[in-house]
Amino acid sequence: MSEIAEVAGFPVALDRAYDPAGHFWVSAGDGRVRLGLDALGVETSGTIAQLAFGPVGEQLKRGQAFGSLEAAKFVGPLTSPVSGTVVATNDAVVADPALVERDPYGAGWLVEIELSDPGERHDLISGASAVKVWFAAEVEDYRLKGVLAE
Amino acid sequence: MPELRVVDCGRVSALRSQTLWHALAHGVAAGAPPTLSFMRPSQPYVGVGYHRRLDEVDLAACAAAGLPVFRRMVGGGVVYLDEHQQFFQIILPVGAVSRSREQALRTLLAPAVAAFRAVGVPAELDDDGEIVVGEAKICGHGAAQIDDAVVVVGNLIERFDHTAAAAVLAVPEDVRAEVVRLMERFVSPTPVDAAAFKAAAVDAYAEALGLEPVRGAMSAAERGRLVELDHRFRSPEWLEGPARPEPQCRQVKVRAGVYVAWIELEGSRAMATVVRGRIERMEMSDPGLDGALTAALSRARLVG
Repeated sequence: MSEIAEVAGFPVALDRAYDPAGHFWVSAGDGRVRLGLDALGVETSGTIAQLAFGPVGEQLKRGQAFGSLEAAKFVGPLTSPVSGTVVATNDAVVADPALVERDPYGAGWLVEIELSDPGERHDLISGASAVKVWFAAEVEDYRLKGVLAE
Repeated sequence: MPELRVVDCGRVSALRSQTLWHALAHGVAAGAPPTLSFMRPSQPYVGVGYHRRLDEVDLAACAAAGLPVFRRMVGGGVVYLDEHQQFFQIILPVGAVSRSREQALRTLLAPAVAAFRAVGVPAELDDDGEIVVGEAKICGHGAAQIDDAVVVVGNLIERFDHTAAAAVLAVPEDVRAEVVRLMERFVSPTPVDAAAFKAAAVDAYAEALGLEPVRGAMSAAERGRLVELDHRFRSPEWLEGPARPEPQCRQVKVRAGVYVAWIELEGSRAMATVVRGRIERMEMSDPGLDGALTAALSRARLVG
């Protein structure tokens, strides 16, 4: 069971690393990892209507799309923060995208990737303190820009 | 003042009424100026939202009617498009758009609302994010991030053939009849002068975005991308789309918050009309399906 802290009003799992650009989380480990959306990624997506993933076995480079998300008739790519091979996709969230909103750090995971360059983890934000500081600053920035309501 | 490139493609083929603006989006992602584009299809056709199952389209009916079918990269469902619709697209670099999808959409649809109002249509952007007059949607819209550009598309519907629009859906006939009934109530054309609407849209988007409108054309790179997109959009693989699960409860969205949903069990069918979270009407061929339909509706996500 991962430790979930409340940071600036949002739940944040502290046992994993975060991609600041896309608001994805990457589970711990240098081999097979899970990816998901963090609470801010979920919040800014809105009500998720559709999710689709590329095929298992697909080789991804960091920055490539591993799938797509649709909310409010707005389709956007899900962009991988790490390089590797897709080894599993979460059929449960494809069938029920609301699962991502209900449990973003657990059952709402998106894909599993076998990392091809574990060194890329250094570009992610990890460690409970650093994650809390970064996430709080992101919420503050989103509020300042009007992306989130005050 | 930075430039708003205005590209008016005029009347174009059905295929190009999709691929042109996709090519412009790739261009904006690659550094072309923010772009407002216009086009009008020269023939009727059917558009399929990026994530929708192709079996939502009655392909046999489309073939019999001579309607091409193209999958677009923006969201939404199966739509009937024709020469009585003036398409517009606003395309911006992703960094210029709010990270909140809902906020981005509202911001980029607001100038379209202003354009409708400028030509005498009392349009509003409602709480569901639809451009409406009263309770009727008057503009079909969708959005996507394509590379590093965001595109929001919409249309001025001068005339709308509700029966033709429902005829392209792969639905049982009683569902089709209900869809037509709801479309007549919730989808309305606005027969205004398209040239005036386009001029008003240019003014409204330029003012809202703080950009100077400049008539422009596609770049050579965008034309190259256009040819690639033509090829992709004609391919069976693209038309098939991403793999989608079989839904437990089928649904047709007429406008945001208005759905016809139905389930079929062992040869029986139950259908519900849902308007803003309330079941307005239910029909079932087997009364025993009441509980099954209610349960399916409670599980179904009536969004998208």
